[in-house]
Amino acid sequence: MREIYLDNSATTRPTEPVIQAVTACMETEWYNPSALYRPSMLVQKKMEEVRRLLLKAAGADGENCTFTSSGTEADNLALLGALRARRGGGRVLIFQSEHPAILSCIPEIERMGYTVETIAPDAVGAVDLDRLETQMRGDVAMIVVMQVNNETGTIQPLSEIARLRDRLCPEAHFHVDGVQGFLRVPFSLHALRADSYALSGHKIHALKGTGALIWRRNRKLTPQMLGGGQENGMRSGTENTCGILALGEAVRSYPQDAAETMMGLKKRLYEGIRARIPKSMLNGPEMDDTRCAPHILNLSLPPVRSQTMLFALEGDGIYVSAGSACASHKQKVSPVLLAMGRTSQEADCALRMSLCPFLSSDMMDETAQRMAAHYQLLSQYTRR
Amino acid sequence: MRELLLVRYGEIFLKGLNRPYFLHALLDRVKNAVRDFHADVWMNDGRIFVSDADDLEGCAQRVCKVFGVHSVGFAVEMEKADFSAVCAQAVHMMEGLQGTFKVNSRRSDKKYPLDSPKINAEVGAAILRACPQLKVDLHTPMHTLNVEIRDHAYLYVRIVPAVGGMPVGTNGKAMLLLSGGIDSPVAGYMIAKRGVRISAVHFHSYPYTSDRAKEKVLDLARILSEYACGIRVYVVPFTEIQMQIHEKCPEDHTTLIMRRFMMRIAEACARREGAQALITGESIGQVASQTMEALQTTNAVVSLPVFRPLIGFDKADIIAISEKIGTYETSSLPYEDCCTVFTPRHPVTRPRMDRVERAESALDMDALIERAMEGIEIVET
Repeated sequence: MREIYLDNSATTRPTEPVIQAVTACMETEWYNPSALYRPSMLVQKKMEEVRRLLLKAAGADGENCTFTSSGTEADNLALLGALRARRGGGRVLIFQSEHPAILSCIPEIERMGYTVETIAPDAVGAVDLDRLETQMRGDVAMIVVMQVNNETGTIQPLSEIARLRDRLCPEAHFHVDGVQGFLRVPFSLHALRADSYALSGHKIHALKGTGALIWRRNRKLTPQMLGGGQENGMRSGTENTCGILALGEAVRSYPQDAAETMMGLKKRLYEGIRARIPKSMLNGPEMDDTRCAPHILNLSLPPVRSQTMLFALEGDGIYVSAGSACASHKQKVSPVLLAMGRTSQEADCALRMSLCPFLSSDMMDETAQRMAAHYQLLSQYTRR
Repeated sequence: MRELLLVRYGEIFLKGLNRPYFLHALLDRVKNAVRDFHADVWMNDGRIFVSDADDLEGCAQRVCKVFGVHSVGFAVEMEKADFSAVCAQAVHMMEGLQGTFKVNSRRSDKKYPLDSPKINAEVGAAILRACPQLKVDLHTPMHTLNVEIRDHAYLYVRIVPAVGGMPVGTNGKAMLLLSGGIDSPVAGYMIAKRGVRISAVHFHSYPYTSDRAKEKVLDLARILSEYACGIRVYVVPFTEIQMQIHEKCPEDHTTLIMRRFMMRIAEACARREGAQALITGESIGQVASQTMEALQTTNAVVSLPVFRPLIGFDKADIIAISEKIGTYETSSLPYEDCCTVFTPRHPVTRPRMDRVERAESALDMDALIERAMEGIEIVET
């Protein structure tokens, strides 16, 4: 039985070039980059190459890039670091269905004296721009929005938000959580005039335990990790060199045409399911919508509960997620889907399939076939 | 002189001529519990002793979980001939303490020159002389120094209460219906505590329930195993039966009919295992399938006795025990078990036997049970 892994928003399989880069690093480039002798210097040079590579990939040449242990840490550094470095209070606007890496910072932000307001989603899970406009005034200290919604695959209207920011509260720090978007959806820090951008290695076939925060030189951040002063004092702790070099390799070897490939796969999967299961409901933007991310497909297949379908597919070696994997052990119905107008029963039937460029069309066909076969049986046996 | 554990047993004292049988079982269980610590374990003169362990504290924790053990004392063993040395050791053990104390001595060596009251008085006097901060209180002392004169002298102040009960395996074998919930592990614990060896049967409804749900139940069995000296778990594939019930039986009777299947299969497993009774975590009126009428209809399909140790317990009482025995946290993990997969909106709470039997008659009972039995997976925990 071959494995079809469709949970790439949870984590990804390290690619062969990444594994080789890690192995090489462990064998010959394991020196502490801060030491004074030559091998350390070479490691440091390689690390700096990765830094430049990330900046380039995020459209942020010449800005800062701080390596972190995860996307979560990068988000924490951006939010807490920027707000701590700033004087006076003000309001912080945070999109309602951000990742817990953002939402869990709220109590801390409030303790610092800021008022936190949430930004409401619209019917496809994107920021409701009209309502956001009414929230934006001169006292906004920070705006936080994710690049791609991890559950529904909705691309957020970042340039519209940036324009509103420029017009209504030009001083506000604009942070974008790019964990679910980096490389898969185009992004340019400069073009957007965003102030910081968080990314994670293991979502793009690099290793867990690696991430980075890209941030503007003219912004100030207070470090959240104190110690030996690595990363220009912004993130102490000996750098995870193997992870960083692997991250570089993942960026370098990421297919140029990944977005088109994945969009093709996503359409094929969606149409395959739709044709076989007419009752399926798309949670998120339509395929031809510009806000539709190429790698995340969220569907409800009522009346079959998502976890039942998930376990059934697992038996075929097909791995999908029920809602968002990060929160799925809590077994709560997704607030994003409820906000999008789904009933709690429909939301309880939501499956998320997240793709990577290394999948094939026949894997999409097989998934749709297997899903339809399970649906036919399982839909007869559900709680009445 | 050395430190050791002095293990005291409880109810076995009530036994008459068959006491050695229980004691040997207990000794065996204690040896088994501390086998990782390379300790010496022996029995002498109505006590079990554990000495020369790698980690005496760790050893004591394990021994305290052995059914049949009443308490464990952290004792010092020394030569008894020099009574002044015994007094000096007593002083040494008491000098850091504050408040009131008494000396409680026993003399099983009846040839010892001092009798128990005399030992109490002498040792007490020595302590009072050396530790002016301590006062004697014979009725409600804060500290009790125990002195036992046996082949050696044993002195101990610190006593850790243990679980009590009877050594596992001395009272037959029973089959526990183990779900992933809070109640059934507690029920299993309570019966195992009476010396009963436990096996368990669990119903697995893939894909409605997951591997994680199954693993959770096996984890619960592993926790219980620490007390019950190993539990064999029969994992029964239950999906087909649930689907058939769902399809062919009236909705309000589905839970009850499912419970009847569980009882029948559990009994079949019990017979295969040589178990003489079934154990469930039921408590009167807790849910629809546990009303008096419902219990009657589920009880009616088996002939083995069904033990329901929690029958008169409130949920809060059951939770308190599950916290104490360490199953609560695992039981609270949110993986769905088969009981809740097709829960009807309005289950019948006062079922009538004739209606239940009629509702069930649409099913090919024997074939369903036979197929479930064939698919059993056995896991030793």
